Amino acid sequence: MSLLQEEREIILGNEYVDTFDFAEVAEFVSNAGKDLFISHHFKTSNKMLVQPRGGFPTYKKQFALYEFFVDANVDVLPLTIDSNTRLNDYATAKKMLRLSEDNEMDMLNGYPLVNHGYRTTRKMMTHFNKPVSLRHGTPDARLLVETAIASGIFEIEGGPITYLLPYSKNFPLDKAFLYWKYVERVCANYSKLNEPINRESFGPLTATLVPPAITIVIQLLEMLLSLEEGVKSFSVSFSQTGSMNQDIVVGAVIKKLAKQYAEEIDCSDAAIHLVYHQWMGAFPTNKDFAEQLINMSTVIASMVGADKIITKTREEASGIPTKEANAKTVANTQYTLGILNGLPNIVDEQEEEILTLEVNAIMEAVFNDPADTLWRKVFNSIKNGIIDVPFSPHIINHNEMITIRDANKNIRIISKGNVPIPDHCYAYERGQCDLNKDTTSIVNDIIHDIGIMQ
Amino acid sequence: MKVVTGVVGNDIHVVANRLIELSLHARGFEVFNLGVNTYLEEFFDAVVETGAEVLLISSLNGEAEGWSREVKLLKAKYKNLDSLIMMIGGNLAVGSGKAEDIVPKYKNYGFDLVCHQVDLNAGLDSLEAFISDRENKESNK
Repeated sequence: MSLLQEEREIILGNEYVDTFDFAEVAEFVSNAGKDLFISHHFKTSNKMLVQPRGGFPTYKKQFALYEFFVDANVDVLPLTIDSNTRLNDYATAKKMLRLSEDNEMDMLNGYPLVNHGYRTTRKMMTHFNKPVSLRHGTPDARLLVETAIASGIFEIEGGPITYLLPYSKNFPLDKAFLYWKYVERVCANYSKLNEPINRESFGPLTATLVPPAITIVIQLLEMLLSLEEGVKSFSVSFSQTGSMNQDIVVGAVIKKLAKQYAEEIDCSDAAIHLVYHQWMGAFPTNKDFAEQLINMSTVIASMVGADKIITKTREEASGIPTKEANAKTVANTQYTLGILNGLPNIVDEQEEEILTLEVNAIMEAVFNDPADTLWRKVFNSIKNGIIDVPFSPHIINHNEMITIRDANKNIRIISKGNVPIPDHCYAYERGQCDLNKDTTSIVNDIIHDIGIMQ
Repeated sequence: MKVVTGVVGNDIHVVANRLIELSLHARGFEVFNLGVNTYLEEFFDAVVETGAEVLLISSLNGEAEGWSREVKLLKAKYKNLDSLIMMIGGNLAVGSGKAEDIVPKYKNYGFDLVCHQVDLNAGLDSLEAFISDRENKESNK
């Protein structure tokens, strides 16, 4: 028996799992309909796929949510997981699920997939026969991902960096890399049986003034960590920056570099996709304004040429959205996509060149780390600040990089910390900003720049 | 002057914490930022370890109220912390609360400076005023 299979049997021997039948699950994946695979839709569809967010504790409410989404002409269904499951606390999730079922009141902020189990959940997934995307935030997602694939969920979001640095203060980063290595291998193995399982990275990170160079570097590194384990379908992603031009530049550079770096490790046979997140920062409380913001995000996603868009709702500022509000965004987004025709082709060569040089310089520094494997090189690079994510709560993050918006609301690096931004790129970034102000006014600007959409 | 700062309890609101660090640094303080999700013991341990003269605790989700009740008791277990300047700021009540009720309550818990929903720079101005006031008193002795 392989070491991986031994580990799988330990993981799936968990007391909250009702006997995992490996042979039956492999059989199910082999014979699953193509429509369940988002990788198949990416191949055959010629429109941007629309995917909302959403997860409720009970089977019944999740089913009802999906009915609303299907009526709104959804392309990809989400399955958002509750926060207890994300922290591997299945006992609390179980208790809260029972309370939710008994009291008609939601005691969880998502669907506790492990507690529902794959036999139950698979009925829902095959009933709707749409591709489903697993949305979570779990550093150790081994059991969750096994359960998801066995349920017919063939897109897995996340990664060791993007699901850790924005969400955790002290979960060990080296452990996260190893747990995600398991996930990549399981996804790669199942991909041999039918259409590939798609892996998607979480580009928004902290969604707080993250400069594009950092976003792209982390997207590329999670892509490489996934492809080197044999994953054949991967989505890089980012969220609306606040400047339309910067979004278009990021889209162009990330597409070009993802292809290039995949080729460099002889993985050009893998399909790479681009996902765009509607504004991930603080939303206006005025729900009509929120709809305008969402609509604008859709227009920008089209300009960027995204393969999939992930939507927000008019109720974003007030908590978990109702199924009605959630479905409304899907219908509105589909409408906007349908009438967006004759888009101009905008190229900003100077900005693209600067960003490309920045990304390549950081990637080179990561590759030059003396460690023997890619994940260790990345781990060391985060530890020594070559990669620095603004506003990450994690203790390993350096927190030395400072970013603000320029007059056109582009996110600019004014203090680079240990991140190896080439000198003339750094001078260019700083040159776009008014740096004569004292730090007190710069802090006030940062506060304003974070909340620009409110 | 050395300052230890951080967000108390199970609060992970990181944005203001980072801005406090930047602003203190800009005002010439040497900052030891313990980040979000920090327990009271960790604050006092850090003060002893660094020899800080100021402890600035912040809270956004309001759970400081629960933690602050234990400040005096805990501080008494440490030696030589009598001259430590204790400051707390942010959103200091769960739900809504009035500053005139909240400030005396926290002073009673052992804080010298209490900033409930006060602008960051105004809060740090008050810290600097407090420090120079105390220095003047010392030199007049």
